Amino acid sequence: MIAALREAVVRGGLLTRIGLALFAACFFVYLFGPLVLMGITAFNSSAFPRVSPWECFSVEWFEVLRNDQTLVEGLRNSVFIGIGVVALAVPIGLAGALMLMQINQRVRPWYYTVVISPILVPGVVLGISTLVFWDRVGIMFNASHETFFYNGFFLTIVGQATFISAYSMLVFISRLQRFDPALEEAALDLGATHVQTFRKVLLPFLKPAIASAAVLAFLASFENYNTTVFTIVSESTLTTVLASKVRYGINPSISALAVIIVVVTLLGAAVFEVVKRREQKAARESEKVARGEVPARARRKPLLLDPAMFLILAVFVAGLGTVYFAGTVGVEECKAAVKEEKQRVAQERVRKLQQQRMFQRAAPVAGEGEGEGGSAPAAPQAQREDSSGFESIFAPQNLKEQVESGPPAAGTESFQGIFAPENLESQSGAGQ
Amino acid sequence: MSAEVTLENVWIRFGDFVAARAVDINIRQGEFFSFLGPSGCGKTTLLRAVSGFLSPSEGRVLIGGKDMAGIGPNKRPTALIFQNLALFPLMTVWENITFALEVRGVSAARRRKRADELLELIALPGQGEKMVDELSGGQRQRVAIARALAAEPGVLLLDEPLSALDLKLRQHMRTELRDIQQRVGITFIYITHDQGEALTMSDNVAVMREGVIEQVADGNTIYDRPATAFVASFVGENNLLRGTVSAVSRAAVTVDTGLGAIRARAADSGGKGSLAVGDDAYVFIRPESLKFDEEKKMDNNISAQIHQQEFEGSFWQVFFSIKGSERKLKLSMVNDGSAMSHQPGQRVTLGFAPELAVATPAGPLAAE
Amino acid sequence: MALVRHLQNFFRRNGAALSVFLLGAVGFWILFMIVLPQLFMVDFSFRVNLPPPKWGTPEHHYTLEHYRYMVYGSAGSESSFNVIDLQVFFKTIVAAIFVTIFDVALCYPIAYYLAQVAHGGWARLMVLSLIVPFWVNEILRAFAFRIIFGASGVLNKGLMALGIIDEPYDFIRENFALYAGLGYAFILLMIFPIYNAIESLDKNQIEAARDLGSPWWRIHWRVVIPFAKPGITSGCTMVFMLTAGALAAPQILGGPSSLWFTQIIYQAFNQAGNWSRGSAYAIILLASCIALVLLLMRAFKVRLGEIAR
Repeated sequence: MIAALREAVVRGGLLTRIGLALFAACFFVYLFGPLVLMGITAFNSSAFPRVSPWECFSVEWFEVLRNDQTLVEGLRNSVFIGIGVVALAVPIGLAGALMLMQINQRVRPWYYTVVISPILVPGVVLGISTLVFWDRVGIMFNASHETFFYNGFFLTIVGQATFISAYSMLVFISRLQRFDPALEEAALDLGATHVQTFRKVLLPFLKPAIASAAVLAFLASFENYNTTVFTIVSESTLTTVLASKVRYGINPSISALAVIIVVVTLLGAAVFEVVKRREQKAARESEKVARGEVPARARRKPLLLDPAMFLILAVFVAGLGTVYFAGTVGVEECKAAVKEEKQRVAQERVRKLQQQRMFQRAAPVAGEGEGEGGSAPAAPQAQREDSSGFESIFAPQNLKEQVESGPPAAGTESFQGIFAPENLESQSGAGQ
Repeated sequence: MSAEVTLENVWIRFGDFVAARAVDINIRQGEFFSFLGPSGCGKTTLLRAVSGFLSPSEGRVLIGGKDMAGIGPNKRPTALIFQNLALFPLMTVWENITFALEVRGVSAARRRKRADELLELIALPGQGEKMVDELSGGQRQRVAIARALAAEPGVLLLDEPLSALDLKLRQHMRTELRDIQQRVGITFIYITHDQGEALTMSDNVAVMREGVIEQVADGNTIYDRPATAFVASFVGENNLLRGTVSAVSRAAVTVDTGLGAIRARAADSGGKGSLAVGDDAYVFIRPESLKFDEEKKMDNNISAQIHQQEFEGSFWQVFFSIKGSERKLKLSMVNDGSAMSHQPGQRVTLGFAPELAVATPAGPLAAE
Repeated sequence: MALVRHLQNFFRRNGAALSVFLLGAVGFWILFMIVLPQLFMVDFSFRVNLPPPKWGTPEHHYTLEHYRYMVYGSAGSESSFNVIDLQVFFKTIVAAIFVTIFDVALCYPIAYYLAQVAHGGWARLMVLSLIVPFWVNEILRAFAFRIIFGASGVLNKGLMALGIIDEPYDFIRENFALYAGLGYAFILLMIFPIYNAIESLDKNQIEAARDLGSPWWRIHWRVVIPFAKPGITSGCTMVFMLTAGALAAPQILGGPSSLWFTQIIYQAFNQAGNWSRGSAYAIILLASCIALVLLLMRAFKVRLGEIAR
């Protein structure tokens, strides 16, 4: 019995499997831990993003996020630039891939090296070279500073598209490798012009690749920081705004943004999975039809009526409702209690300090004692608790400002704004 | 409108490699014409030159008497059926069939009507709404034919279209193809490495080897009167004897082989390189032409030793060892119910008629 | 002559409209987005630093001063070498190498597990969950590490609660947060090339090796790793280049006293207004990274064509 087990361990690599599974578990903790913790901080009413001490479960930071004008503007710019990059990088990537398929064998490695190089070149270098190049071109044409040569949007789109085109090219190459060139010849042979062949045969085949290249391009553009930070000049994008926020002062509204992105991503991933399964099922079905096992079915159900799709939507809406309810009801009471508790703790401390002083009666500290005397407000005191090392770069007034900018009582209608259909649409479009 | 196809001194080169060498062929209109040859012999290349996907390095391609130089594949009155069929996977059956009409801007209603007619022709009525991957292999085959016919080509080009099918379906499709060709009456040019297909379906067959046309003739002639050693060895089974020409008369040549002098009909090589005294020559005898001839009644006799006998139901195959050759001779005879009276190891005399043996100049043979 | 013939063929194959699109798009990309900007940047790095209005004038002449500055510092400084910049440069390169090694060690087992051990829906789920974290912004990911490693962060609180430390430990100053964040940032780009490579390995080869009595580590050493070499090299190349060229993570997670080389470039552009020096430094970074990658490829006998697939 034991011998058999040992045999299984050695032969089947059971030990290796267990080891691997453990390792994978650790790995996924590393992968998700930071995001989960960050997500939790989004719902803590504490003014600084942290998990402990836990104050109140609240959705107020989503409200703060929505009212943050610089972020909203950055988001708008990012979407605009993302669309521009898609419009530029997808056709270029497509052309690059088609070119690779028919370029002369001897030139091919050189061509490939050149067009793939932007992926390997650091983004910083791409940003700089784009900036310098168009600046010099602008000078050559004697262009004024209002022209597009100096426009942050134009430079960013061109700079990002430099390497994003290479990404989308890779997407097209992998799809084209499964394309049967005989289809193109068949269309030509049946009298189609080159343009007709491209439009009616190649393009429909590439449609899924175009969609994934577009999504990839948009996401890559949306994500990009290294190139953008050089080319954006005086404008801003979501990433540059975020970067300066994170560097110069943070509050949990940034965590809230991350939560939204993760939720949209998960939703996108779930929908993607459903679509994929439907496709596989359809493929299996047509195989059966071809073998004559089942009669052909007229049309498939639309995606939205799929039960799995329905389930996803239901879970999403229910989760949203629960979080919203828990995060708005009773928050004020909770916060008041926390504040009271803090004040009590602070007063307690002050009293202790005074007692100590009374015992010590030491002259040198008397002055300081006056400054922090009984009437000192409790809130700054509580904040200072955290101000060791890391947070010290964030000026207190900075923090306060942000806290104040968000109305503490998150109104029903204003909160829903974040998840309003039109907002959601633009984001889920990115998450497909 | 059926069209004739003429290849005039066509050469096709890829760098140093010559895929077609001085090809001269005239295919009459309405003819079922096959190119037969082993893979890599250049037959597909020739087909691509006819359909317009490549232009000859030298020479002319004429379709319906018109020079096709500079005319692209989409402007030629040809339709090609690809080896893998190349049906459009994202279109339904009827959309596939009427693609040629779609690109000409024919209205959807008229296309549907035409699709129904063609589906009738290929015996797939009512299957137009299916996707291509919902069809079986044979059905796809027929859809590909319908799609090509919808373009109303003068010439239909078929590039080994049956090679992907299983044996039974392949044999069925042979008859069906021939049937369709006779109904629509257009020129078919058919590429194959399968001699069975070429011989059963075609009016004429061109046998190709390394870019060269070895012989153009109808199936019977190809089989009975091969023009070259290659054709004789590639088409059907043949026994080969090597020797030197010792005499040439109008009707026959005499070849000295290790087994004695053999008289055979000289191959009609079309004027080039006919046999003369002293030439190296090959003599080919079909297994079914070889007879047991103990009384030496026939003009040609060889002595041989029975090596092995195989019974195949309607046939007996007998293999013989002969002096001075590693190759076994093969004799096949109809099983007429009488028991085989010979034993392996037995010495026998074989005979055959001179007009059933063909002597060709020594030359390259088909790979076994 | 040959070019004209190729062009003619190209036009015949694709038709006029498509040919113009292909040539135009690829031409614009290669010329105006890849090659010329790089050349202009190289040119710019060899010119003296002047305010923009004087660019292109005769005053804007060639010089080696920016490259000299990187090595020797300004003429007036006391030390004979530019200690600060050189230190940052070498620290960046060495740290990037270590981050790359860390990522290989981390990702190889996972990629192997995904490609050969896990199967079906489970494997699909794992792949999907690998991708999800990387749809979150790079900056937000770095921010998450700040939350963990900050003085009142989860790690410090946790360690203090466990009684391991009494006072918050400054993980940020010691660059723990930076290396953890950098290691995290490009995991995906390491896993997928290796995964693709291992996935195409025939399971029977592993079985055969096991059957012949090979211990698990030898199976990897002699069968799996040699087979996955192109994938591993390609993953290492990407991770190394991206780590050395990272900007967001060092800006957010870097300690107050330590810089990443890209930050110096950033400062040259955005604070010192010295574009020429910034360009020169960017070229130094690019050239050293490429040289290192080529060296790596030569050492592991991998050709460029096998990379970046």
